[in-house]
Amino acid sequence: MFGHLFIKECKQTAKSMIYWLIILILLIFFNSQLGSMEFAEKPEPGQEDYGMVAGGDEQATMEATLGYLVSEYRSGSFTTYPIGFYKTVKPSQKELKRIHEIVTETTGLSTDQEIDDAMTAAQGDSQIVYGSSPVKPKDGLTFERFCALMEETDDMLGGGSNYSKESLKTNAKTPMTYEQALQQYNDLTEKDHFTGAYARLFSDYMGIMLGILPVFLAATRGMRDRRSRMQALIASRKASSAVIIFSRYFSMIVMLMLPVLLISCIPLSECIKAAGGGIRLDYLAFVKYSVGWLMPTAMISTAVGMVLTELTDTALGVLVQLIWWFLSVFSSMSAMHGGIYGWDLVPRHNTPFNYEGFHAGFSQLAANRALYAGISILLAAVTVWIYSLKRKGRLDIRGKLFGNRKREHKA
Amino acid sequence: MANYLEIARENIRHNLPVHAVTAGILLCLSPLVLGVKNLPLADTAKVLEMYVALIGIILIPPVFLPEQNPDLRDLIRSKYTKISTVYSIRAIEAVLVLALYLGVYILILHINGCQMEAPAYYAGTLAEMIFMGGLGLLFYSLTDNLIAGYMIPVFYYITAMGAGSKYLKVFYPFSMTKGSYTEKYWLLAGGVILMATAVRIRSRK
Repeated sequence: MFGHLFIKECKQTAKSMIYWLIILILLIFFNSQLGSMEFAEKPEPGQEDYGMVAGGDEQATMEATLGYLVSEYRSGSFTTYPIGFYKTVKPSQKELKRIHEIVTETTGLSTDQEIDDAMTAAQGDSQIVYGSSPVKPKDGLTFERFCALMEETDDMLGGGSNYSKESLKTNAKTPMTYEQALQQYNDLTEKDHFTGAYARLFSDYMGIMLGILPVFLAATRGMRDRRSRMQALIASRKASSAVIIFSRYFSMIVMLMLPVLLISCIPLSECIKAAGGGIRLDYLAFVKYSVGWLMPTAMISTAVGMVLTELTDTALGVLVQLIWWFLSVFSSMSAMHGGIYGWDLVPRHNTPFNYEGFHAGFSQLAANRALYAGISILLAAVTVWIYSLKRKGRLDIRGKLFGNRKREHKA
Repeated sequence: MANYLEIARENIRHNLPVHAVTAGILLCLSPLVLGVKNLPLADTAKVLEMYVALIGIILIPPVFLPEQNPDLRDLIRSKYTKISTVYSIRAIEAVLVLALYLGVYILILHINGCQMEAPAYYAGTLAEMIFMGGLGLLFYSLTDNLIAGYMIPVFYYITAMGAGSKYLKVFYPFSMTKGSYTEKYWLLAGGVILMATAVRIRSRK
């Protein structure tokens, strides 16, 4: 029964105009973002520039971050990007007093004059390039204590500030050496087998689309029965609600992942061409990343669309998913470099490099993906429950009980 | 005239509130996630173009929704008032609600000390709203599917975010952030044409 319905649903999806629009959008988006892929080349010694690397040692991180802290403290307003949008936070007097204590504890500067003098003195030159003028930390300040105080500051500011855990990793930016550039290239070819790095970049871009597009397909599918007045007919059939809903759900996931896997053949073939013969490639990398990284995103987006469409018989799921997607995409912009995956709906890793970051954040990423896959199955189960109630004539939002919107006449 | 007012009144009573309330909630939520105080010029434009303008997608495409059922369309066609007039009145009402919301939002930004070139920002954001909404309305009319009406402007928005002005040229929606207003004339003209075309197509279906 399940197999039969599954095939039928796949055919239904293939006939859906929304489905073909999604494929068209995926193709256009892929072409605009990854249409002309540039592949990394082995660095040569003596090059003028090897690029920059975010982050430095503990001392550099503390100096750069304290540079931000003292200048923002003096101006009385703090810049934050809670979801990628600029937000100015003006702390209360009590909070400013606490921030002043933190400035004193971390830099040893207590009066405004001392802070201004330190900021003026900091306008010197350094091998390290900072986002603000570096300020030296107080002697004896440990990095652990510094991190704890910065976390407290970030909490007071509502998150997304220059003192958040993520920002501490990128506040200091240093020029890359030849050795670092070579190590980065070796990671790409040896640990990532070349294709792995580009599969991650592919997942980064396609994840943006799969975070929102599946909800349109799910909402359309959910409303189709009502539009074609087939609800009663289907409800009277023998197939259980679980079989009907799960066959629908899995068919949509399979049909959504199919074009993603087919599109991934384009960058894979380009990788094979670009790598030449000297690199041992992982030919299955794009499949692994598509299933492990992208599929949970498609699953949750589809599930949100299904459950809310089934519950309300409206396109509410589209709006909810759009808001979630919006918040997720903008809030993860500070983690574009990869390695900081958190619980983002759309994990970002917008570079073929940073294998180290990926490796370090892998368990978090795996937990993230497993969580969304689990929640999506749970939402599909809730959809089954709602659907079975509606089949029994309960919870009919458009029925006579809740759906009567006729105006009351006084006559 | 009385007929037109009655059509507008019925729309306000039955169709408009749910979408207007949704758009209003979206705007009311903005201070939780966005800065709406003391913003510099470019950041004020960013909030308006990238967040506030999204309500155009919520309010304009559902203009055709009450006649989703083809039988209803046949019924309305049998009436003296043209169906295109009914759609046009609803579309104008949607734009008026957008204009009102945007005006109130910009006023709040102004009171909160955000820097702005108020008339230009107002007109520019409204033009973007009309374009995105018009795009949705056109695809709704072409496909008879509201979901497509939401999906295409969302894709347009994402393309603008990702590819910037490279592909969209004069139809790039976030130009005010970069200090350019030329694109807004194109968006306004394009939006009006899209809406008019959508009404025409839908009226013949």
